[in-house]
Amino acid sequence: MPMMSEINHNPKIIVRDLNFYYGLFKALSDISIEIQACEITALIGPSGCGKSTFLRCLNRMNDTIPGIMVEGKILLDGEDIYRDGIDLALLRQRVGMVFQKPNPFPKSIFDNVAYGPRVLGRGKKHEIEELVEESLRKVSLWEEVKDSLNKDAFELSLGEQQRLCLARVLAVYPEIILMDEPCSALDPIATLKIEDLMQELKKNYTIVIVTHNMQQAARVSDRTGLFWLGELVEFGRTDQLFTRPREERTEDYITGRLG
Amino acid sequence: MGSSLRATLDRGLNEIQENLVRMRELIDRALSQSLKSLSDRDIALAHQVIDEDENINDLRYKIEEECLALIATQQPTASDLRMIMAIMSVVVDLERMGDYAAGISKTVLRMGDEPLLKPLIDIPKMVELAREMLRDSLGALFDHDVPRAREIAARDDEMDHLYQAIFDELVEIMAHKPDSVHRATYLLWCAHNLERIGDRVTNIAERVIFVSTGDFKDLNIKEDGIGGIN
Repeated sequence: MPMMSEINHNPKIIVRDLNFYYGLFKALSDISIEIQACEITALIGPSGCGKSTFLRCLNRMNDTIPGIMVEGKILLDGEDIYRDGIDLALLRQRVGMVFQKPNPFPKSIFDNVAYGPRVLGRGKKHEIEELVEESLRKVSLWEEVKDSLNKDAFELSLGEQQRLCLARVLAVYPEIILMDEPCSALDPIATLKIEDLMQELKKNYTIVIVTHNMQQAARVSDRTGLFWLGELVEFGRTDQLFTRPREERTEDYITGRLG
Repeated sequence: MGSSLRATLDRGLNEIQENLVRMRELIDRALSQSLKSLSDRDIALAHQVIDEDENINDLRYKIEEECLALIATQQPTASDLRMIMAIMSVVVDLERMGDYAAGISKTVLRMGDEPLLKPLIDIPKMVELAREMLRDSLGALFDHDVPRAREIAARDDEMDHLYQAIFDELVEIMAHKPDSVHRATYLLWCAHNLERIGDRVTNIAERVIFVSTGDFKDLNIKEDGIGGIN
């Protein structure tokens, strides 16, 4: 668990009074939170508490679901991402996402990482090759796959596939990485590799992770938020939240008395 | 469904608390028997108190191991984690209290067959106070009872006053009867050990506040800031 000797205050994302509805069901209630740049923010809470819904608000991944309604503001570097006319492709390039189950494309390892830059029309062949290598190095996968870049991505182990998906995100130069239960399909060693990577990546990226694993939140994050029935019950420094939570519901949840 | 989620953790915490109570009972017994060995000049009983201190030491390590196992296997957080950390510190205080009780019996052995300098008046009061404070402090710890913890820490002032009174009286005697210095010092050592027990109980009271609030607070502040002779 990273200890913060001083309080970092450099918000990358500011959320103000966010309400989110699936039809008539209010999934998020009055969420206000500041996600600090170059930190890892963990979101915990029982299933159905709204943490994944919240995460998907941050790059408007929920937009594809019919009948949703969003109120409030989400500011990314001061710009409201829910305003009319925002470039969604650009938003999702800036705010990348890694999912619960590794989801490589049915393509080669190389093509998976090169996909984003190609779609964005970035660079010539050798530039793309450099970008693929750089991205695979960032996720510590390069040494393992450099001689088999044309191999099908599905031939990798699940842990490697997840790191490949992370490389695919990094290849488009995001600023924020959203992770939705990125380790739930992985064994403990592959999990620790991802957690190690997160510590490396946070030097340059802002990371928000949703996890069911409270120990993982405690291990990796700088700040933790507890969601409960669509509300953000408590949000604070991870070391403080896991040793001296302010709210009784947090105490009950993290000590297993609730949930 | 709440309790079943943490049944193992609760069971572990209960076992640790039971062992703490056992430890407290052994110290309580050591205190009353060391006083008896002093007042009756019972050498055999003094030896017994010293030998039985081993049991107190063993319990300390047993409890520390149990705490370690709970941390490793149950990943306690928040008040559970604070309680376990507090217990890790409390067992050290308890173990030292056992040493202080045994220290009184060791003094009895050193006294040999020299008669007591004077009848015991305040030392039995200190023993009674120490036993009460100790009993209450563990109760306050288990109940997360902050007001009780503060009240226990306040009672340490009473302990300090008793010690100060004994100290003044013995110094007075030594000044007038230089040949009494040895025998006066024996009693002074006994009183000193009891005064130290009061300070150790105050440490436990501080841990009660830590468990309940997460704050570290020093309750052992003497009125004059120096603490007189303590």
